[in-house]
Amino acid sequence: MKISYDWLQSFFQKKLPVPEKLADLLTRHSFETELVKKVGPASKAGKQDYLLDVEVLPNRAHDCLSHLGIAREIAALLKYPFEIVDYAKKIKVDQKELIQNFVKVENKDKNLCSRYTARALINIKVGPSPQWLQERLKICGLRPISNIVDIANYVMLETGQPFHIYDADKLESKGKTKTIIVRRAKKGEKITTLDNEKYDLDENILVIADEKNPVCVAGIKGGQGPGIDGQTKRIILEAANFSPQIIRQGSQQLNLKTDASWRFEHQLDPNLTEEAVEMAAYLVQEIAGGEILNGIVDVYPVKIKPPKVKLDIKKVESLLGIDISAKEIKEFLERLGFGVETFRSKNRTTEARLEVTVPTRRIDVTIPEDLIEEIGRLYGFEKILSQMPTATLIPPARNEDLIYQNKVRDILTNLGFSEVYNYSFVSSKGVEVLNPVSQEQKYLRPNLAINLIKNIEENKKYFNEVRLFEIGKVFEKNKNKVIEKKRLGAVLFPADFYRLKGVIDTLLNKLRITDVWYNEVSRENIRAEVKIGNDLLGWLGDNIFELDFEKIVALATEERIYLAPSKYPAIVRDIALLVERGTKVVEVLNLINAVGGHLVRDVDLFDMYEGEEIPQGKKNLAFHIIYQSDDHTLTDKEVNKLQEKIMKVLEEEGGWEVRR
Amino acid sequence: MLFQLKQKILKEISQAKDLNSLEEIYKKYLGRQGELTKVLRSLKELSEKERKEKGKLANQIKEEIAEKIKARGTKFSGKTNPALADKKEWIDVTAPGILPVQGHFHPISLVQRQIEEIFQSMGFSVLDGPEIETEYYNFDALNIPKNHPARDLWDTFWLKDIDLLLRTHTSPMQARYMEKHQPPLRIIVPGRCFRHEATDVSHDVQFYQIEGLMVGQDVSMVHFKGVIEGFLKRFFGPEVRMRLRPGHFPFTEPSFEVDIKRKGPVSTKASAGKQDWLEIMGAGMVHPNVFKAVGYLPGKWQGFAFGVGLDRLAMLKYQIDDIRLFYNGDLRFLKQF
Repeated sequence: MKISYDWLQSFFQKKLPVPEKLADLLTRHSFETELVKKVGPASKAGKQDYLLDVEVLPNRAHDCLSHLGIAREIAALLKYPFEIVDYAKKIKVDQKELIQNFVKVENKDKNLCSRYTARALINIKVGPSPQWLQERLKICGLRPISNIVDIANYVMLETGQPFHIYDADKLESKGKTKTIIVRRAKKGEKITTLDNEKYDLDENILVIADEKNPVCVAGIKGGQGPGIDGQTKRIILEAANFSPQIIRQGSQQLNLKTDASWRFEHQLDPNLTEEAVEMAAYLVQEIAGGEILNGIVDVYPVKIKPPKVKLDIKKVESLLGIDISAKEIKEFLERLGFGVETFRSKNRTTEARLEVTVPTRRIDVTIPEDLIEEIGRLYGFEKILSQMPTATLIPPARNEDLIYQNKVRDILTNLGFSEVYNYSFVSSKGVEVLNPVSQEQKYLRPNLAINLIKNIEENKKYFNEVRLFEIGKVFEKNKNKVIEKKRLGAVLFPADFYRLKGVIDTLLNKLRITDVWYNEVSRENIRAEVKIGNDLLGWLGDNIFELDFEKIVALATEERIYLAPSKYPAIVRDIALLVERGTKVVEVLNLINAVGGHLVRDVDLFDMYEGEEIPQGKKNLAFHIIYQSDDHTLTDKEVNKLQEKIMKVLEEEGGWEVRR
Repeated sequence: MLFQLKQKILKEISQAKDLNSLEEIYKKYLGRQGELTKVLRSLKELSEKERKEKGKLANQIKEEIAEKIKARGTKFSGKTNPALADKKEWIDVTAPGILPVQGHFHPISLVQRQIEEIFQSMGFSVLDGPEIETEYYNFDALNIPKNHPARDLWDTFWLKDIDLLLRTHTSPMQARYMEKHQPPLRIIVPGRCFRHEATDVSHDVQFYQIEGLMVGQDVSMVHFKGVIEGFLKRFFGPEVRMRLRPGHFPFTEPSFEVDIKRKGPVSTKASAGKQDWLEIMGAGMVHPNVFKAVGYLPGKWQGFAFGVGLDRLAMLKYQIDDIRLFYNGDLRFLKQF
């Protein structure tokens, strides 16, 4: 909220700290405050002023969206004497006529309007406001209009109570007495507000009406009907209290937010209306002349009384971690306007308990913890020590997911892949968002692939080679639930199926996930399913793979068993085969392993070639076969015999041509 | 025979006048076609016993000579000539090395990992929570009532045709965890959150947060300050300063905001022009209504909770001036981490 430094000073006899210091004081103890700028003086008569921007916390909107509220805070923080002006005593009532003969108020729903207070003046003279008033409004960001309208705004900025003023002669009535009705609007009713906007009303909107029409959207904005103009002579001053819910609902439905609706939405103290109305009456009389009618209209069916909250000193000390006496607490709270009564326990062994009377403006304070916050901030958060907790030494729980997330990141970055974080949103397919920010981000991503492929397209412009991966959640609708799954995706540019497959194999190997196999499938972008036994782990294409991360975590293990290398030398023999193009390497491997038995330690494909020198439709496969035994040195003879047997089976059972 | 050869070589070495002639000597005897090399190679043909004896001797001589050449070479050049010392071809050590292909962690992952390590060392367990939430956990259980202006603080994405939302903070995990666990407890929950708001250099529709929660019998604000100061000093360095000021969150009471001040250049474009204290964290003592919602005995437990933006920490740490860089997958950005 925009606050005038000079206005604040007007509440105190004592000089306030310089604006920078004051801003710092408020920031540390009340609300973040920024000194925005030095202002004026606008005229010779004007004063120099400073604009402060005070970010009033939402729970203090009840009492601090006002200069008075901020001044109260300052008084409490600086221990400055502070007394508010009693305008009721300052106004001069010089009319015999009772207000009750002039205006009567019908409140149709005391839950929606808990209080309606009004005063009336006659023979006023509308004109421009005095310079000092205009300047104060301007610094707070409001445009001066006329003395009467400016006073309404001024009272709101000073007290926090939204204020409305009607031209009484423009209210429709059958008799001499005007009737003001607080009621829900009827469907079909319309209103044109002061800024010339038209609104359709219905039962969700609370209005102030005369005998015929709504004249004001209650607590939100006044209507044009009884607006103040140059001819206005008789006015009714309204300060009311409306339910936060009905104002919030109305403001949302009409899409109309105002200084008034903002304050009412945060709930105000009904006891504020009277002092606001008296202040406004006083100012009108001072500035626009006129005579105040005798008495006040005050529809206040259920009077709000200050609640009491019990406070245990032990609790204060325990929550803030400080030592503090009942006396200090009492002093802090009284500075803030709370009433404090101390009850000594009879046996004097236990600490005193306090009963705190909460001023009705402090709607935010309902439980002991609220009071502890007040004590804490007056005591000063900076004075609270900092100390490590003494807690039982329990080692933190091990989070497998997190451990493997980091491990996978390590493995993939070592393989040259960089990690991306993409948006969880995509432009098509997937769980739909009700209120997307754009068509591009209308759905929740059903996979990581969509955005990863886009990453390639973007990065291709700058890099010859792109390797990226992402670990993140994807979404899928399942009846009335949305299933979220963590996935691992990676992309490679230029596309290379075998390199990507090698990445998966290396990754799974490092995580000790065994028995992975690749099932050939042919779908868009997909070449193979990555499987562990019967379990589908994910899929692989030419330039992308995407795996189920939760399954990876479930299958991965940190267990390792050391196998001693054989004491006997290994012998390597090569085999080259000419096979049909469609022959799968795994078929050849299976056969070699089956025939070779336990003496075949390993079979390595070291060449796969088709093209020149190879007949059309065929390819050449070349393998290293590593022979080794655990219990003796293999002789050439032994190995030759086995090698011969393998070649024979490859030719006879496999039907392939062994190139000798 | 070997001894004679040795004497001959040593003599030549002592007579060598410069590095070039030393290099010649090296080539002549120890090079691939050198005399001594040939002798060593010929050992193969000897019987095993002879081979062992002569081989040992020949190798000793070879080492001795190499040592002498090196020592002599140092005299000439004042330093060891690498070619002679390592008996290899000369290489230009100033030419660029061949870089292995390397990948990079995302900056948020880096920051997250560091924060997790710091908190784990203080006994906090790390948890994960759902990104899709119910209204109950995201709001109600956290003392944020329906139709209350407090809800406006969290601009929410809702799902279509289904009564769920994208979590606006990691705080729902406070309630989810406490429902299932009794104090004492210490947890942190990192995770992705969403806000329905216009994007600019410091706001995006998604961001990362770490939630912290510590509950026990006497966990107080003093302990909060201890833990957070410990964290900040380890994360930003010992010179970092911390400031608490009043804040408001429906799920904590008292509530406070944590600001920091660092030495050196800290301002990002996003924070330029503002005061030098930087807001980094919202926190407070857990509100009794939250304890009530999770079924704890009233008055029995107390503790603190906090939420810190990972994007913001990463931005401060690496001086990144636009939050959207985190999510556009641009390698020119990513490869710097």
